[in-house]
Amino acid sequence: MIAHLVCAISLVVFYILQTTIVAQTPLLAGYSDLILLFIAAWSLQPKAKNKWFWTLVAGVLISLVSAMPFFTPLIGYFGVLLFSVLLQNQVWRVPLITMIIVTFVGTIFQQAVYVISLQVSGAPIAWRESIDMVILPSILLNLIFAIPIFAIASELARRVYPLEEEL
Amino acid sequence: MKFLNSKNIQTIVILLVVSGLVFLALSGYLTPVFNLSLNPLISFQRWLSVRYISAREFLTTPREITQLQEQNALLESQVSQLQTQLIVEEERLGEAQVCFALLDFGRTNPQYEYIAATVIGREISPFLQYIIIDKGIEDGVRFGMPVVTQQGLVGRVDAVIANAARIKLITDSTSVVNVQLQSANVEAQLIGSLTGDVSLDMIPIDETIEPGDVILTSGLGGNYPPNIFIGQVLSTQRRNNALFQTSTVQPIVDFSSINAVLVITNFEAVDFSPLIPEE
Repeated sequence: MIAHLVCAISLVVFYILQTTIVAQTPLLAGYSDLILLFIAAWSLQPKAKNKWFWTLVAGVLISLVSAMPFFTPLIGYFGVLLFSVLLQNQVWRVPLITMIIVTFVGTIFQQAVYVISLQVSGAPIAWRESIDMVILPSILLNLIFAIPIFAIASELARRVYPLEEEL
Repeated sequence: MKFLNSKNIQTIVILLVVSGLVFLALSGYLTPVFNLSLNPLISFQRWLSVRYISAREFLTTPREITQLQEQNALLESQVSQLQTQLIVEEERLGEAQVCFALLDFGRTNPQYEYIAATVIGREISPFLQYIIIDKGIEDGVRFGMPVVTQQGLVGRVDAVIANAARIKLITDSTSVVNVQLQSANVEAQLIGSLTGDVSLDMIPIDETIEPGDVILTSGLGGNYPPNIFIGQVLSTQRRNNALFQTSTVQPIVDFSSINAVLVITNFEAVDFSPLIPEE
């Protein structure tokens, strides 16, 4: 129960930060995606439960708010979650390195899904311009923000799950 | 001869000696003697004075430091209070300036009815240029309503809920606005881009477009009211074998720092879709 509450509050806080501050401080035309980073960081916590549920909630929330077509943000976030779960279960034992790899690959996947969906919906968006002006700056910003977001998620998981076990 | 007794003689001698010494002192003959005798005295006096002052400072300075620290803390708190007041006043001044500018726009365009709204967020995806405002259906905002600032055209309402609305900016890559160039009386299309830059397209090849030409909405298409200021032409590109010219545009609105907008409520966008023949 506490974990659900923490996830809900965290999503709301990161959404507000995303729309009010992060989206207004671009690098070229790209900017960081705090929701993606939180989903990646939370899904990498070994004790975290209901990852799929909260990714679904975040994806639906952002899809409703965003002007992106066809629930594209939901697809992007599920891709990030899938990749983080695969990495976590397979090889990596150093969570911070896993977080950086998930952020890197997840951002590329999400932005590629965005470009494809916009092109399908008729927007005149070119791949080369997208990569130069949006995708590469977004990757850089996401990698910069990945470490503090991972630290926040780790701390939340460390504090929340002992409380859950007590209850 | 009673006057010349021993006591008087002694007095006279003393007076003469004193007078002589005074005379010698005034005439400067006794200076070496004075120096010899006064220098040790002055040295001792200086030594004692310096020690006394040092001792007094040693005893009194801690109390002064405490007082100074208290005064400094008081002044610092006053400075921080004044700085806070200054920031609040500057914020109020900024809000008032925006309100006055919006009011001025409303006065100069009295044919429209407006709803003033504050920008509360931006689109999450970096590929799109949208803003979110704090007015929605309950305030009278509807889909398709044009949005302006005191400077010029911003965009149109793309989605609306009870207490908020999403505005598609004219800088969005999917945005197309029919415009006219005021000086040349030429019609064209203003299109957005991925990076938020805007440009003119579909300018007839035989028209001469000068940098600085003013761009206004034409009203064609029924999405925007006519004669709303958009920006100025920066430069024109004319390619060989091309059917139309293109121009780069400097928009009048600074889209990176929009704080407040006006939604034009008495303009209804025309839906042409039933008139478009199906393929």
